Amino acid sequence: MVPGMLMMGAKDRLLPPSVPFRFFASAVVLHVAGWGAVLLGADTLPGFQGGLGPALAGLHLITLGVLGMTAMGAAFQMLPVATRRQLGPLWACRLTWWLYTPGVVVLSLGMGAEHVGAMHAGGWLTVAGLSLFGVLVGRNLLQVSDLPGVTRHAWIALASLLGLAVLGLLLVSDVGVGFLDRRGAVAAAHAVLAGYGFMGNLALGFSYVLVPMFVLSQGVPDAVGRQSATLSAVALVLAVAGLVLGQGMVAVAGGVVGLVAIGLHLRALLAVLESRMRKRLEPFFRLVRLAWILLPVSVVLGMAVAVGGAPELSAPLWGWLLVFGWLLTFVTGILQRIMPFLASMHSGGASGRPVLMSKLVAERPLAVHAVCHGAALALGVVGLMAGSVPVIRAAAALGLVGALAFALSAFLVLSRLIAQERAAQPSKA
Amino acid sequence: MNDRTTGATAKGLTDKDSTAERQPGPPEWLALALDIEPLDVRPALATGEDPLGLIMEAADGIEFGGALVIDAPFNPSPLRRILAARGFSSYGRNLGPGHWRVFFVLNGGQDWERDADVEVGPEGAMTWREDDGLHIDVRKLKPPQPMLAVLRLLDAVAATETVVVHHERVPQFLFPELAERGWRVERMAEEFANVRLWLMREG
Repeated sequence: MVPGMLMMGAKDRLLPPSVPFRFFASAVVLHVAGWGAVLLGADTLPGFQGGLGPALAGLHLITLGVLGMTAMGAAFQMLPVATRRQLGPLWACRLTWWLYTPGVVVLSLGMGAEHVGAMHAGGWLTVAGLSLFGVLVGRNLLQVSDLPGVTRHAWIALASLLGLAVLGLLLVSDVGVGFLDRRGAVAAAHAVLAGYGFMGNLALGFSYVLVPMFVLSQGVPDAVGRQSATLSAVALVLAVAGLVLGQGMVAVAGGVVGLVAIGLHLRALLAVLESRMRKRLEPFFRLVRLAWILLPVSVVLGMAVAVGGAPELSAPLWGWLLVFGWLLTFVTGILQRIMPFLASMHSGGASGRPVLMSKLVAERPLAVHAVCHGAALALGVVGLMAGSVPVIRAAAALGLVGALAFALSAFLVLSRLIAQERAAQPSKA
Repeated sequence: MNDRTTGATAKGLTDKDSTAERQPGPPEWLALALDIEPLDVRPALATGEDPLGLIMEAADGIEFGGALVIDAPFNPSPLRRILAARGFSSYGRNLGPGHWRVFFVLNGGQDWERDADVEVGPEGAMTWREDDGLHIDVRKLKPPQPMLAVLRLLDAVAATETVVVHHERVPQFLFPELAERGWRVERMAEEFANVRLWLMREG
């Protein structure tokens, strides 16, 4: 008997692999597109504080395309298993992808080409996809009371999603009209809600289940999850209110509270690592560790932005470390671990045995990605600080090479899975 | 019930005279009682108080099909017989020196008294031995504790051992880890809140 067969009889069986993997495949492709757009718009990045063009398109291809897609695929697949509650009808999960994917592509193209109509169409499609995702996850969370660390962060993420969607649509509608008096502040609040509120809280909440599972360790105590979620909520309210109302010190207070929440979160996860059963940390953890370092660094830079300290320098650096540093590093680390894990879990239908995860992982392209990604981050920081377009261009080129290597590794997971399944078929007979 | 492999548990539930020797494994109704907060009578007994009144008061509030859990410093056989006369079945677990946990369910006393000597692992999973292998009950543990408890046990047992996992649901996330360790799911039985998996080493 095999897992594939077992699942067929299980009342709480997983969603078909086509659901999470369509999101993951989109994330992998848009990862390449995102770095490509950053490369195209590299000349606008020094002193970048917003404005249409390829750089903004690249930013949204990474945030919505890579981070959002991964969050959706992972949530659809793993949330019902972690919470032991159904997520929602299969058609709704599929519809989310059909709304969201063209939405992100059209929105990004509109931003890159400065086409207002495309931005409106893409923006509304994106928000529709995100809203459906929010409803599905919210329905699941309403039934859960025994995972406070995960669910409270997830609720904060959903609340942030609502806020960032409203602000995002306001920003899109403002293009060419100019009704927002303080567009920069609204954009910063939108970024805070997206980076720390939505993606950040999903990352923090899921980490309480995923990290102990991947390193085989005790879970994080519920009390810590409750505390980090409460502090995160307070931090977000202060930061967003401070930015929108033009009260920099209020936003800084939010940053300080956010740093305390991050400190609690990281201390709990370090304790998880110390008590782990799996002594050798897998390569994906290099990226997770780097992301953990860059998260508080990005918050400190965000506080500098809030008080208006050298905005032409602090604003682009903050955006760089928030999106490419903390979030993209974390998400590509997790994505490279869960793709072969889920592929293995769904395999075995024909052979009678699941395909080993270790046979699916393509370590060399992932090592290339890790090196290129790390180098791109470092060069980007140098380039932004020096205001050097060639250095930023080199950083984007390295990021693009890394993204291509990452895409190769994802392709190899799939091709190896197919090859292993085919090779195992004769043994069944 | 959807037991594809053995009818032992079902048989046990219909046999009123069954004893621990004739009924391997926990009763099916145990899953209903695992969520109940235990009434710990050890502190009262330590100070010389008789907790019987407290227990009977708690038992009086139980409706048919409901459950009561008592933590005691010894196997409270007299109490179990008193409650059996009131229609309670009981299942006792020796959790360690000076700590018994007895689960009662008001079901007419179909299955009135069963026991198991168990060991409790660091994650809170209970293990005990039966004829068909080493059993581990990971129900009611929060993720990822069930996976951790099972893998910790698999890493410690002999290559020829059969491990029987009692889980609330099919543990999908466990399968890739089992395969990496060279273990396979030999068979499975699904009942309400008790999915059992017989694990054996490959080859």
